[in-house]
Amino acid sequence: MRSPHIIVKHFFAVILLFFIACSQAEETDATFVVEELHTALLNVMQKAESLDFQGRYDTLAPVIQSRFDIPLIAKVVLSRYWNELDQQKQNSFIELFRRLSIATYASRFDDYTGESFKTISVEQLKKGRQLIKTELISPDSEPVRLDYLMHSIEGKWYIISVIADGVNDLSLKRAEYATIINERGFENLIVEIEKKIKELGDTSTKG
Amino acid sequence: MLLTRVIKLIKIFLILMFFSLVSGCATTQTVESPDPLEPVNRVSYNFTDTLDVYLLKPVAETYVEYTPELVRTGVTNFFDNLSYLNVVLNSFLQGKIDQGLSDATRFIFNSTIGLAGLVDVGTPIGLPKHDEDLGQTLAVWGAGEGSYIYVPVQGPNSSRDLPDLVSSTLLNPLFYVTGTVLFPLTALNAINKRANLLEATNIRDEAAVDPYTFTREAYLQRRQYLIYDGNPPVEGYEEIFEGEGNTGNEDTGVLQIK
Repeated sequence: MRSPHIIVKHFFAVILLFFIACSQAEETDATFVVEELHTALLNVMQKAESLDFQGRYDTLAPVIQSRFDIPLIAKVVLSRYWNELDQQKQNSFIELFRRLSIATYASRFDDYTGESFKTISVEQLKKGRQLIKTELISPDSEPVRLDYLMHSIEGKWYIISVIADGVNDLSLKRAEYATIINERGFENLIVEIEKKIKELGDTSTKG
Repeated sequence: MLLTRVIKLIKIFLILMFFSLVSGCATTQTVESPDPLEPVNRVSYNFTDTLDVYLLKPVAETYVEYTPELVRTGVTNFFDNLSYLNVVLNSFLQGKIDQGLSDATRFIFNSTIGLAGLVDVGTPIGLPKHDEDLGQTLAVWGAGEGSYIYVPVQGPNSSRDLPDLVSSTLLNPLFYVTGTVLFPLTALNAINKRANLLEATNIRDEAAVDPYTFTREAYLQRRQYLIYDGNPPVEGYEEIFEGEGNTGNEDTGVLQIK
């Protein structure tokens, strides 16, 4: 029979190994990035009673900012129009899109009814990209498939696209923005997005 | 009498199917934009949206407010089951024999033990609900998407998906119901359907800066997802990143900057 002392020692050794593994995974594993976002989302959902919209926004901001490749997403979402903007306008669009992304998450994940996230599979794609397939499981409705397209820069993984039940938010926005730019011009697109961010904060049920 | 009516309708349906196949194949090769009928579609969309804002949505919201969830689930199950023969047929038409047999068994179980479909007894015993229709079958058979069509009141559609309106109507036992019960049943079906879409339309209202384009893109992508049973080719997700780091002047077929 092993002494309790040795068991405790082994226990701490395992814990230590676990943390080491986690810290390495952080930089090299795309799944970790997605699961970190999911943990942050569950966190604000569970605290929805005490956190208002701004509270959820502030909590989610660092995770979304560091885990999404927002400059690339902002560029792709504007498609050909991107190159017609000068550096300053490009930068302010990136900043606007960052606020829109955070506000969208803060507005949508505003209550908790026993939801959980499950990672289903990881697929290797060309150019070193990965597709992480996950599910948002909810006790009283059908699961929602959330797929994340990931790419890696200098060994760090970033989310570049989210696909919910087959609907790709990025191509959806790209088509919408193209319509508005074509019909009413870029400046009006900025006005519309600013309006949307304000609405997300105003209409959000809690806050 | 009924038989001749059915035969006549089946003939119409087959003709429609043929034309849809032909037009689907023809249009995909020549039309670059997914929405060549946009001006007409926008009129249909605006009409439907006005009707929705002032009538359909408020009625559906009232229905949700005053009807217990259990009852709404029963109503949804009942109408889903009535429309399930269309799923059974299309599972077989797509060559999914095992799924077709499972769907047929599900329909029989839910229609009998499941109290005319009110209770979904199939799912717990391993006969899950599938989502198949004639539009998906035509896609599996190789027909192109064709043009996006916004059908007034009914909603987003495409020329490839239109024939399903006929097949799903003909295969729905409700179509053969006559008499006084028909109107309340049809109305309940419509209200319940709209109620089940409330979450989706709320997301649209919350997220969309151009609701018309949002609806079109979401519909077309969702169809693609269903055609491939939840696993569409990943190239579709990746292609918008192609050319990144280069000039970024790739032709998307959608964006046309003046």
